[in-house]
Amino acid sequence: MNLYQPMPMRVERVINETSDLTLKSFELTFENKTDQKAFFEKYNPGQFCQFSVFGKGEAPFGIASAAWEGPFVRFTVQNVGSLTQTIHNLQPGDLVGVRGPLGNGFPLDKLKGRNLVIIGGGCAFSTLYALTKHIMYKEHRKDYGQLTIVYGARNSGLCLYKADIESWYDRSDMVIHQAIDVPEEGWDHHVGYVPDVVKKVAPAPKNTSAIVCGPPIMTKFTLPILSELGFPPKEIYTSLEKRMKCGVGKCGRCNIGSKYVCKDGPVFTLAELNDLPQDI
Amino acid sequence: MSYKTTPVNQFPKLVSQWIKKYDVTAPAEAKNGLEYKTIGDPAEMMLNNRVNTTYAPKAFFLPQSEKLFTVEHGRFQAPELKTKPRLLLGVRPCDTRAFWLLDTVFLAKGEEDAYWQRRRADSLVISFGCDTPCASCFCTSVGGEPFGREGSDIQMTQLEDVYVFEAFTEKGSALINKLPEADAATVKKVKALQKTSAAEMPKAFDNTNLRDHLYALFEDDFWKEVAETCLGCGVCTYLCPTCYCFDIVDEVQRGERVRNWDTCMFRVYSQEASGHNPRPNKAARTRQRVMHKYAYWIDSINEFGCTGCGRCVVNCPVNIDIREIVSAAQARSAKMEAAK
Ligand code: SF4
Ligand code: SF4
Ligand code: FES
Repeated sequence: MNLYQPMPMRVERVINETSDLTLKSFELTFENKTDQKAFFEKYNPGQFCQFSVFGKGEAPFGIASAAWEGPFVRFTVQNVGSLTQTIHNLQPGDLVGVRGPLGNGFPLDKLKGRNLVIIGGGCAFSTLYALTKHIMYKEHRKDYGQLTIVYGARNSGLCLYKADIESWYDRSDMVIHQAIDVPEEGWDHHVGYVPDVVKKVAPAPKNTSAIVCGPPIMTKFTLPILSELGFPPKEIYTSLEKRMKCGVGKCGRCNIGSKYVCKDGPVFTLAELNDLPQDI
Repeated sequence: MSYKTTPVNQFPKLVSQWIKKYDVTAPAEAKNGLEYKTIGDPAEMMLNNRVNTTYAPKAFFLPQSEKLFTVEHGRFQAPELKTKPRLLLGVRPCDTRAFWLLDTVFLAKGEEDAYWQRRRADSLVISFGCDTPCASCFCTSVGGEPFGREGSDIQMTQLEDVYVFEAFTEKGSALINKLPEADAATVKKVKALQKTSAAEMPKAFDNTNLRDHLYALFEDDFWKEVAETCLGCGVCTYLCPTCYCFDIVDEVQRGERVRNWDTCMFRVYSQEASGHNPRPNKAARTRQRVMHKYAYWIDSINEFGCTGCGRCVVNCPVNIDIREIVSAAQARSAKMEAAK
């Protein structure tokens, strides 16, 4: 086994997620059956992969698909730099390198039997989407209590996974709240910032865990609101983004104190974060 | 295990035999002082030095630049490295201790780094116990000893005109099992020497509760003060036997993905794509270097991540002395405590 060896994967489908074309989803399939088997034996929502395009390097992306969706892995990639530009140019049939799944992911066993409020914003919603898909699968749904989703985007054009999320409104076993920053014609959901929406719609903290992933500023303002609402620090989960290289706890790059975000995280409880030196 | 001996004047003959089977790598004279070299002739080795080599021997297991893959048509192929086994000879116990510390990172069960693992497996390490430590050494302040065994297969000790060998691993015993057994009087002398060497080593600082004291100072201006003159050159980390941070880059022209040593003392090391930098100044970076060694390693495996080799002390261009930083931190934290 070689920790740094990317497995070959093939681009199967490319989805334009947003009207400004800055966000695309890529569904990749495995070239080798053994890789596929190893991947799904390990995969747990909240984990990430190192996505390689030779010559441009590697970068971590959260996994945006649930295992039951099929033998593929979805990543949602925002075009912000040279590697992501190259990824955005990929076409179905192209070969890429992927390492993973990496990191701890969400603690599904601990979340079982609890109500969940899943709070996300921007592109970081991708792993929360995977988590939601996982929970809503018919065989898993009964393992969890009430499910509330709060998802914010700057404007309606930047909302991810539109058709799918639209269909969530019709379900009786979950509540979905979408928000955009400023009013738009035809938008009949929330208008405002995620932390404010959370304040309004969050379920009671009793037997409830909160999971928050979003841009740092959103997370920063949402965490205190959850605390105010009475969520204890050990029931608030968040996923950190850090610069990474190896993704497996060797290269030293992503440490916060003695923890490595790539290996010990990326998912931490607020209680765990409070115990770490403020080196974030 | 048993002790073996060879007269000092016979040792070159023994090394000549080893050279046939191994890449024998030992301290030797070089441009920048003493350096590990793969020797063709035992006369080249310089074991009895009062100073350690400039570069740490970590490079034999984690090269400064190393090819991870050859890449063709998007497929990553790891190189097959068939090397002659290496015999590292005359490594000081602080440096073998560093191998042992880094093994906990690179040989962690189920997460082995294949490159480190193979190089470690293909090598034998003979350490040379220190009976006259130099002024910049402080192994006993950080959990080591001048005759520490960690990370070596065999340890050699010099008693006037004989070398005495003790093997700690099977492959170590296999190398020396044909040598004559040491008699009881010799063994006694070796043990006595080991004891006095450790006892005579002066302590550089008191390491009691060092971890807690460093954490207490995390937000303090202390780091600004100690990092004031730092140039951010990274020498302290490149020469350090326990620093192992690396970067992974693609060399397109050569069709290779390589890893290179990196250093937390550079601003770009922690620079994120968003523009945010969690360690934006040298105070934060110096704090990271010092706290990784004396606090975070303790958190992870309850050992210090510094072996007291003194290289960073001797080679810092502006004479920043990690021993002084630690002593000052202890004093500052004690003062803070008293003021409470
Ligand atoms: S921190 Fe300095 S003294 Fe300690 S092992 Fe590294 S180079 Fe040697
Ligand atoms: S060697 Fe000295 S000047 Fe250079 S980075 Fe280290 S502490 Fe700073
Ligand atoms: S990315 Fe290398 S240690 Fe985390």
